[in-house]
Amino acid sequence: MKRFLLYGFYTLLIVVVGGAFAFKVFQPVQVLPRIRLAPGFALIDQAGERLTNEDLRGQFTLYNFGYTRCGSACDLSNQSMREMQDKLDELALGDIPVTLVTISFDPEYDTPERLQAYAESVGADPARWRFATIADPSLLKYVIGGGFETYYEAQDDGSFAFDPAFVLVDGWGIIRGEYRYQTMASDAERIMRHLEVLADEAINSKGSASVAYEAAHYFLCYAP
Amino acid sequence: MTGVAACGLRPYEFHGTVMQSPSPAAPFSLMSNTGQRVSLDDFRGKLVMLYFGYTYCPDVCPATLVEIAGAMDILGEDAERVQVIMISVDPERDTPELLGKYVAHFDPSFLGVTGTPDEIAEVATLYGIYFEKHEGTAASGYLVDHTATTMVLDEEGRLKLLLPFGVTAADMAADLAQLLR
Repeated sequence: MKRFLLYGFYTLLIVVVGGAFAFKVFQPVQVLPRIRLAPGFALIDQAGERLTNEDLRGQFTLYNFGYTRCGSACDLSNQSMREMQDKLDELALGDIPVTLVTISFDPEYDTPERLQAYAESVGADPARWRFATIADPSLLKYVIGGGFETYYEAQDDGSFAFDPAFVLVDGWGIIRGEYRYQTMASDAERIMRHLEVLADEAINSKGSASVAYEAAHYFLCYAP
Repeated sequence: MTGVAACGLRPYEFHGTVMQSPSPAAPFSLMSNTGQRVSLDDFRGKLVMLYFGYTYCPDVCPATLVEIAGAMDILGEDAERVQVIMISVDPERDTPELLGKYVAHFDPSFLGVTGTPDEIAEVATLYGIYFEKHEGTAASGYLVDHTATTMVLDEEGRLKLLLPFGVTAADMAADLAQLLR
């Protein structure tokens, strides 16, 4: 009897450890990491409407950062946002909405009217891609510099030095993807793939299936 | 995984979102109702439940704090391993004294903390808390809209669990007991 129990225990141990090992190696489910909380904010957009992080709860949000006098320094980033805006309907996202948000770090110059004109010039669909900022420079710094951990600094000539970045946030307000230093066209492909990974988890991670997704987080089975 | 679940080894399911491999939560140093400034480092070795609210809050804050107090009751002695902190999103009206009286209504061990408007704006932003004043009634004065999420930080000061508004005391207690294991 004692030997039987011992065999049973070892068999169970092998199944559990082997299953965990197989999960880690074969990664039947992939997820995006839960990196940290996205910042809280109340922005004013190009239509003069209030846009808060609570308004964006329950949907996916992709942020980038810039300003209307940016010139060619923002071209690649804007092109990627435009590409994603135009392809959102082709992605397998269920009925989860996606909003693109460009936050300006030049509130003194970037009035809603100027943001509106800029949004039109880059082909933004106002229903999907919003441009916004905060009048208070300290608050803006807490949001972009603190919460999104994205560097920007005003220069003497009125321009800004900044690190281009995209930040992907889920419906819980958790940062799930950060794409920095290479705002190339290839970023758009990767981000769109990641949007589908996020949607897959949001749609299917329910009931007993949620165990597999939590295991994927536990074993760091992150989508490349 | 189904087999594992069938054998009764199914992992515990939390009532909120778990942060795997969490990084350290944003540090802060704010004035508490004890008259001392407190920071997260003061509570290393304990779980910290962080809630952003204010004493004039008519509904969401008391409803949440009642559930948190209920969870502490359920935990019994283990509640000593949890520190509940309410950070005020109304620093203009919420003095440390007022916060002390307010949180004591729910549980004498709870701490209420506040700071300058700038300090509060920074800490709220970094914890993903939106808050904004809007008009109330003549009796209530202005109200403050705010995010109602409760956050649980682990013993090392890392954000571990996000609980949405509406989680019951029993479910909170079960989650906290799981984190204390």
